[in-house]
Amino acid sequence: MSNAQLEIQLIASLVAIACAIPGTFLVLRKMAMISDAISHSILPGIVVGFFITQDLNSPLLILLAALTGVITVVLVEYIQKTGLVKEDTAIGLVFPVLFSIGVIMIAKNANDVHLDIDAVLLGELAFAPFDRLLISGIDVGPKSLWVIGVILLITIVLLLAFFKELKLSTFDKGLAASLGFSPVILHYGLMTVSSITTVGSFDAVGAILVVALMIAPAATAYLLTTDLKKMLVLSIIFGVVSAISGYWFAHWLDASISGSITTMLGLLFLIVYLFAPSKGVIAVLYREKQQRIEVSLLTFLLHLKNHDEDNERHVNHLNEHINWQKVRSKTVLDLALRNNMIVIDNKIVSLTPKGDMFTTQAIDYIITNEDTQIEDMKNDFFLFRG
Amino acid sequence: MKQKIAVQVDDLTVAYNYKPVLWDIDLEIPEGVLMAIVGPNGAGKSTLIKSILGILKPIAGSVTIYGKPYKKQRSLVAYVPQKGSVDWDFPTTALDVVMMGTYGSLGWIKRPRQKEKKASLEALEKVGMLAFKSRQISQLSGGQQQRIFLARALVQDASIYFMDEPFQGVDATTEIAIINILKELRKAGKTVVVVHHDLQTVPEYFDWVTFLNVKKIATGPVKDIFNDNNLTKTYGINYKVSVQE
Ligand SMILES: Nc1ncnc2c1ncn2[C@@H]1O[C@H](COP(=O)(O)OP(=O)(O)O)[C@@H](O)[C@H]1O
Ligand SMILES: [Mg+2]
Repeated sequence: MSNAQLEIQLIASLVAIACAIPGTFLVLRKMAMISDAISHSILPGIVVGFFITQDLNSPLLILLAALTGVITVVLVEYIQKTGLVKEDTAIGLVFPVLFSIGVIMIAKNANDVHLDIDAVLLGELAFAPFDRLLISGIDVGPKSLWVIGVILLITIVLLLAFFKELKLSTFDKGLAASLGFSPVILHYGLMTVSSITTVGSFDAVGAILVVALMIAPAATAYLLTTDLKKMLVLSIIFGVVSAISGYWFAHWLDASISGSITTMLGLLFLIVYLFAPSKGVIAVLYREKQQRIEVSLLTFLLHLKNHDEDNERHVNHLNEHINWQKVRSKTVLDLALRNNMIVIDNKIVSLTPKGDMFTTQAIDYIITNEDTQIEDMKNDFFLFRG
Repeated sequence: MKQKIAVQVDDLTVAYNYKPVLWDIDLEIPEGVLMAIVGPNGAGKSTLIKSILGILKPIAGSVTIYGKPYKKQRSLVAYVPQKGSVDWDFPTTALDVVMMGTYGSLGWIKRPRQKEKKASLEALEKVGMLAFKSRQISQLSGGQQQRIFLARALVQDASIYFMDEPFQGVDATTEIAIINILKELRKAGKTVVVVHHDLQTVPEYFDWVTFLNVKKIATGPVKDIFNDNNLTKTYGINYKVSVQE
C-alpha cells in the first residue's frame, strides 16, 4: 500500500468519525434533513470565504461557511415558526436558494474562483494527498488530514464534556430547560459542530458523502442497540468500515471513492435493516408469525378450558369449530403437545395441569397487563414480549 | 397561621406566535398543598407549568418561587412533563432516565457517579420499578413509563413538584400507587401541583384546586370552590359532577 493510499483511507476514516458523532444526535432528534440542508447551503459561505482567503482549507473559510450553515438552521426555524409551512417544507425552501446563490457566485466569478460544482458535491478524495501542509518548509502531511483531525479532536472533546447535556436535551427538552441546561444553546452548539464538520469534510469528500456519513451509520446503529453510548460506538465503526471498504471497492472498480463509500454505507444499512436481531424486517416478520401462532394456541387452550364435553374436544371437531385450516391446527396442536400443555387420548384433547395453569396466567396477563409474575414465561413466548 | 406562598404568579400572559393562550394569570400556590389544575384540552395547563418553570418565555408578567425568580430556585423544583412529550424509542434504560433527575444538582459537565446512581435506584424502588431498571424504555407499559417519570422527579429531591397529567394512560393500580406517593410528599411538607383530567377523583385526591381556561377561573381549597358553578365556568357547558360526601 502506498503512502497516498494510506493517507486517503486515514482522511476518509477521520471524516467518518467526525460525521458519525453529530450524526447520531441528528438522527435521534429526527433532524436528518437538516444535515442535507447545511451541506448545500454552505456553498455561498465557501465562495465568499474563498474570495477572502484564496485557500479552501483556511480556518477563516471554514468558520464563514459554517456560519452559513447555522444561518440556514435559523432561517428554517424562523419560517417554520410562522406556522405557515412544516419543517421539511421550510428546509426545502431555504437550502436550494442558498445553494443557487453559491452557484451563481461561482459562475459570475469563474475567472477568479478555482472551484467547480462537481467538486463541491462529490469531492475528490483521490486528490486529497496532493495538497500538502508545509510548516517552515517541512511536509507534515495532507492539509485535509490536519483540517479534519483538528475538527474531530474538538468534536470529541465537546462530546466528552457535554454528553450528559446532549443526551438529556435530545431525550427531554422540557426537563433540560427546567434544570437549566438551555436546549437552545445545545441545539445551536450541535448545529455549529455539524456545520463545521460539513465544511471541513466537503473539500475532501464532497457534500453528498458528508450527508451520507452523518446519517447512514447512525441510522444503522439505531437498529442494533438500545444504548446511546453503544449507538455512538457502532456509528463510528460503521462509518470507518464503509470508508475503508469503500476505498478498496473504488480501487478495484477504478470508480469514484466517495461514490463507493456511499454505496457501502447503503449496503451496510440494507443488511442490518433486513437482519437486525430485534428491529430488523426478518425478525419482525418472524415475531409476528410466532405471535399469530401463539394467539391461536391460547384461543385453542381457552376453548379446551371452557368445554368439558367430549365432542367439543375431538381433534376433528376442533378443525371446523375454531375454523382453522388444517396446517394451522396441526402447528398449534404440535406446539401445545411439545410444551406438555395437552394430552391427546383417543383423539380427545384435554389440558394438562401445566396447560391449565398457563392458560389462566396468560389470560390474567392479557387482562391486567401486570408484568412481574410472567417475567420467566417471556423467554418461551413471543406473545408476552410486547 | 398564615401559610407561606410556594409559587406566586403575577399578571402572566403567554403566547405562541403572538396568539395568547394564557391571559393575565394571577395565582398563589401555598406551601404544602396537593393541588390539581383542571381545565379542558387546550386550556393552557401545560403552558402554565412550562412558563412557571422557565421553559417558555411569557410576553408579560412574572413568576416567583419562594419569593425569588425561578432561575435562582431551580434546585427546589421537580418537573414531570406530559408523557407524550418525549420519544420513548430513545436508546436508553429506565435507570438512565431516572438518573437524568440528578443532572440539575450536578450542573454542567460533571457526570453522575455512585451517589447519583444509588439515589436513582432508591427512587426506582419507591415506585416499584427496581426490577425494570435495565429495561429499554420502549419495552415498558404506559403505566410503567409514568412511574419512571415519577421516580425521576423523586430523585430531584425538590420542595415543589409539577406534574403534567401523571395519570394519563395508567391502570388503576398505578394510579393508586402514584397518588399514594404524592400524598406522602405532601405529608413531608412538599408542594405538589398536578394537571388532572378526571374530575370525579379531584375531591378524593387533592386538597387544593385551580380552574383554568385561558384565564384563571378560580383557585382555592377543594372543599370551598370545587362546585358546579366553577366547573361550568371552566368547561363552558352546564357541568355537573356529583361530589360524594
Ligand atoms: N408549541 C406550540 N405552538 C403553538 N401553539 C401551541 C403550542 N403548544 C400549545 N399550543 C396551543 O396552546 C394552547 C394551550 O395548550 P396547552 O398548554 O398544551 O393546553 P393543555 O395542556 O391545557 O391541554 C392550545 O390551543 C394549543 O394548541
Ligand atoms: Mg397539556
